Amino acid sequence: MKKKIKVLMTKVGLDGHDRGAKVVASLLKAAGMEVVYLGMYQTPAGIVKAAIDEDVDVIGLSYLSGEHLVFTPKIVSEMKANGLDDVLLIAGGTFPVEDIPKMEAMGIDKIFRAGSLMPTIVSYIEENVKKH
Amino acid sequence: MGSAKTAKSAKDCQVSWEDYMKAYYEKPTSFKSWSGFDLNALYTPDDRQGANYQRDIADAGQYPFTRGIHADMFRGRLWTRREVVGIGSPADTHERLKYLFECGGTGLNTIADVTYEMGLDADHPWALNEVGLTGVNITSIQDMETLTKDIPLDKVSWSLITASTAAAPTMAQYVAVAENRAYDPANLRGSIQNDPIHFRYCGFKPACPLDLSIKLGADVMEYCTRNMPKWYYTTVNMYDLREQGITAPQEVAFGFGIAMCYIDELLRRGLSIDEFAPRFTFYVSCHIDFFEEIAKIRAARRMWARLMSDKYGAKNPRSMHFRFAVHTAGCSLIPQQPLNNITRVSYQALAAVLGGVQSLHCCSYDEPICLPTEKGHLQALRTQQVLAYETGVTNVVDPLGGSYYVEALTDRIEDESLKIMKQVEAIGGMEAAIASEWLDRQFEAEAVKRQQEIDSGEKLVVGVNVFTDEQETRTPLGVQRISAKSAKDQIKQVKELKKKRNMAQLNETIKRLRDDTADGKNVVPAMVAATKAYGTTAELLGTVREVFGYPYDPMGIVESPFSR
Repeated sequence: MKKKIKVLMTKVGLDGHDRGAKVVASLLKAAGMEVVYLGMYQTPAGIVKAAIDEDVDVIGLSYLSGEHLVFTPKIVSEMKANGLDDVLLIAGGTFPVEDIPKMEAMGIDKIFRAGSLMPTIVSYIEENVKKH
Repeated sequence: MGSAKTAKSAKDCQVSWEDYMKAYYEKPTSFKSWSGFDLNALYTPDDRQGANYQRDIADAGQYPFTRGIHADMFRGRLWTRREVVGIGSPADTHERLKYLFECGGTGLNTIADVTYEMGLDADHPWALNEVGLTGVNITSIQDMETLTKDIPLDKVSWSLITASTAAAPTMAQYVAVAENRAYDPANLRGSIQNDPIHFRYCGFKPACPLDLSIKLGADVMEYCTRNMPKWYYTTVNMYDLREQGITAPQEVAFGFGIAMCYIDELLRRGLSIDEFAPRFTFYVSCHIDFFEEIAKIRAARRMWARLMSDKYGAKNPRSMHFRFAVHTAGCSLIPQQPLNNITRVSYQALAAVLGGVQSLHCCSYDEPICLPTEKGHLQALRTQQVLAYETGVTNVVDPLGGSYYVEALTDRIEDESLKIMKQVEAIGGMEAAIASEWLDRQFEAEAVKRQQEIDSGEKLVVGVNVFTDEQETRTPLGVQRISAKSAKDQIKQVKELKKKRNMAQLNETIKRLRDDTADGKNVVPAMVAATKAYGTTAELLGTVREVFGYPYDPMGIVESPFSR
């Protein structure tokens, strides 16, 4: 039997807008993935540690409060330092379209802004997961 | 005519004439309201058999106030055009407030950043990357002074949306500044959000234990009732609940449930219902289903009047008034093709006005993108002004009253909301529903349903699951960025303040705050004194938290600097 894709869903910093992250976590689960929901108030180091401990295939970041350009490089460098090259890094939430190329250049594999449909997110993960 | 030419150009632009004709004969795919009610094609007097105008509807200004709380509504006074502002430092926020005031805004309205919402000072380790990003951080009386500089506090009406967690320190900071500037608190006009219970659902649970939320919320309400007769001491936030993805009847039922937690506490303290209820207000969402939102507002007005009169025995009609501000639904806006948000907000604002709103915030079109740019903010204010001055909707009170459909939908929402309130009662009331996380589960389940409705196409959203062709690469009116310098300056100022203030004097006021909390006294007077001695938001809250047996710092890092 094929191993389930394992996704870590999390928020970083103090931002408390967690509705999007929770909905995505629930619906990835419904689509047959295993989801570790880390929730709010996480640090870059804490997220990467959890990703290693849980041996996940994907890290999903949810941003709303304008801190995406600050925290993204910190998470990416923490992942690099720990050799998580084979973990897919995706982000979703609320940010200007102008920031998408910046976030991609920082090392996010794919960005899903508010208004993205779940089937799009699910098929992207299934087709691009690196470990499988 | 050149049919060949037409056919060629049609092929060029990929139009299928078959699809074109299908679209010509297109019918709507759903006849459900946003909240899921099946709707008839036509409503007639048969849909409201047994209806009694005087008992259930009545003229505006008369019980049960279904049609409005004032007999003449907007002829007596337009709604307050109050755009929410919170951006960068207190000085940046002050500047934007003044700008909107100069552009014709009629009420000041400030919102907090996530650090203030969590009740943290700007120098907290977690605040480093967050100060000013989503609103304004008020750490000390100095920040409140900057925010309110040159503004005549006895003349303006200020809505301190702030952070419900920190509502007690916020009220203390506002009163302290006013008193230092020789204003009598009795003359201050405005409102404070002060609904700490709801804030646990906005991501600030560690800062909002239920017992402390009720204690601090009720302290502010009691203090204002006794000392600030022109002040609205709470705006129970149904809006934030709705933003979780719940339906219109759930918004009313859960909002009323939370409101009753505070009312019951005030009654336990010996206040009479007619003493405090006339200053109770709500913050309501206006979502995208036009008639459903109007019906929701009308139903809420009737239900509140009956609740106050029947359950709580209010005698003063003003105690029965459902007074409310509307915030158009941020969660209905999308970043794709963002100019369409102006249209969405316009319909929502129209629904709020036809529903008889007292005060309105229109979301800026860039709400799902960044904090409002100056141009976005101004455009949102202009939407309100076009509505107020051009459309004629202010002429007649409750113009949809008597519509077979709107009255039937009002009845339906009332029925559904009452059913949910009974369900809450059956599980032991709202406090039990919160403590057992029943309410959390409702929010989570409903939010998933809303996404599934969009994924499946059951609900259509232009730019999301229909007409998705245009992929913009720029935000039309630019992006609001928050100056990193403003945040750094504020953090530096707070650190300097904490070094140079008189610690002996502050310690005394903190001791009084600790003792008053332990003795079950109202904490607001001690908070005002501590604020004047340069005690900060987190210090005031932390001191009270410790007495209640919670860690001084909700993030569990900072220790209390005060001797015991």
